[in-house]
Amino acid sequence: MVGLRSFQLNSAISKKTPLFLLQSKRNFIKTIPQPPGYVVGGVNDATAVPDSDKVHGSRHWTSERLVSAALIPLSAVPLVTGSSFGFVDSILSSLLILHCHIGFQSCIIDYIPLRVYGVWHHYAMYLLTFGSLVSAYGVYQIEKKEEGGVSGIVKKLAKA
Amino acid sequence: MYKSQLVSILSKPSFQNCFKRGLATSHPVPTQPKLKTFKIYRWNPDTPDVKPKMQEYQIDLNKCGPMVLDAILKIKNEQDATLTFRRSCREGICGSCAMNIGGRNTLACLCKIDQDTTKETKLYPLPHMFVVRDLVPDLTHFYQQYKSIQPYLQRDSVPEDGKENLQSIEDRKKLDGLYECILCACCSTSCPSYWWNQQQYLGPAVLMQAYRWLIDSRDQASAVRKEMLQNSMSLYRCHTIMNCSRTCPKGLNPGRAIAEIKKQLAFE
Repeated sequence: MVGLRSFQLNSAISKKTPLFLLQSKRNFIKTIPQPPGYVVGGVNDATAVPDSDKVHGSRHWTSERLVSAALIPLSAVPLVTGSSFGFVDSILSSLLILHCHIGFQSCIIDYIPLRVYGVWHHYAMYLLTFGSLVSAYGVYQIEKKEEGGVSGIVKKLAKA
Repeated sequence: MYKSQLVSILSKPSFQNCFKRGLATSHPVPTQPKLKTFKIYRWNPDTPDVKPKMQEYQIDLNKCGPMVLDAILKIKNEQDATLTFRRSCREGICGSCAMNIGGRNTLACLCKIDQDTTKETKLYPLPHMFVVRDLVPDLTHFYQQYKSIQPYLQRDSVPEDGKENLQSIEDRKKLDGLYECILCACCSTSCPSYWWNQQQYLGPAVLMQAYRWLIDSRDQASAVRKEMLQNSMSLYRCHTIMNCSRTCPKGLNPGRAIAEIKKQLAFE
């Protein structure tokens, strides 16, 4: 009943208020309209349970934690020893990119959800992937050309 | 003879103390009214083109009970009968009067009125919920989510004696701090992640109940329950912001329950 009520309510609003006023917040990007009160089905129906997908569920979470945990000793090593090792440095920088990628992915899922923004969600994800690939290439170039790799640059910046 | 007994009773120190105490606790007549301002969110669905507004009410705290619920009941009874809110038990067991008081989601019946009359107290409905009227939020979707986790005992086998599903004292203790939840929705509506994605993220209140059924030794549907949370939205939108545990008017810890679920699922 509440769902029905809020539906009637919405139609009552749109009759009196100019439409552009209500949509002013959504003018920039066309968003997918959501059900009134977010209620799908009857009030006594349960919300739908999404399909099970461990890759996006627990495995994603666990790998994210493992990457974060691995970053602690990896970033501590050049700090403590004062010198950088090519092997450690390349692992550190690639995990750092992965860590940032997962973090921004979470931001996109939170702020540009597929449910509301549809195709824009995918565009954001493509942009992120593109950015991550570019930075991966950049890191590859740094490891190849720069002396001391990424931690060598940090060291120079700290001294400057 | 009676007279002498009466005199002896009256002259006892215990009686005299009782008498004095009775006098001392009788209501002192307050000299000045202690006026406190409440600003309350008002919106009426009958006039949807009128924007929501904050309405001011003044209450004499000397003539009002100690809790915010006492104040809004006093306003409804004496000043404005159109003020709308939910309430039932007035003792923090039903969860009806959950609202945002002074910036914190809590139960009006468990929240003491700030006695500082120089400051006003603001009352809003639970944040980021659809408002039915004034302080009444629409919790339909919240209840639908609660239903989706199947919050009831599920078993494949009947107990051996055919009577009860027995549980050890240790196993029962695991449910402490979980079963007390009254589903007032204070925690869920304080969670930014729930504000952004409440259609897909289950929220702390519902997830804590999901955990309550996961660790119940009598329940045999753990595999199915875990399977339901294996996606990027239902559980993993929790970013351990911990507003839930901070705001819970019952002093429970939904944040910990969610972390325990993640731990249980970690190596699946």
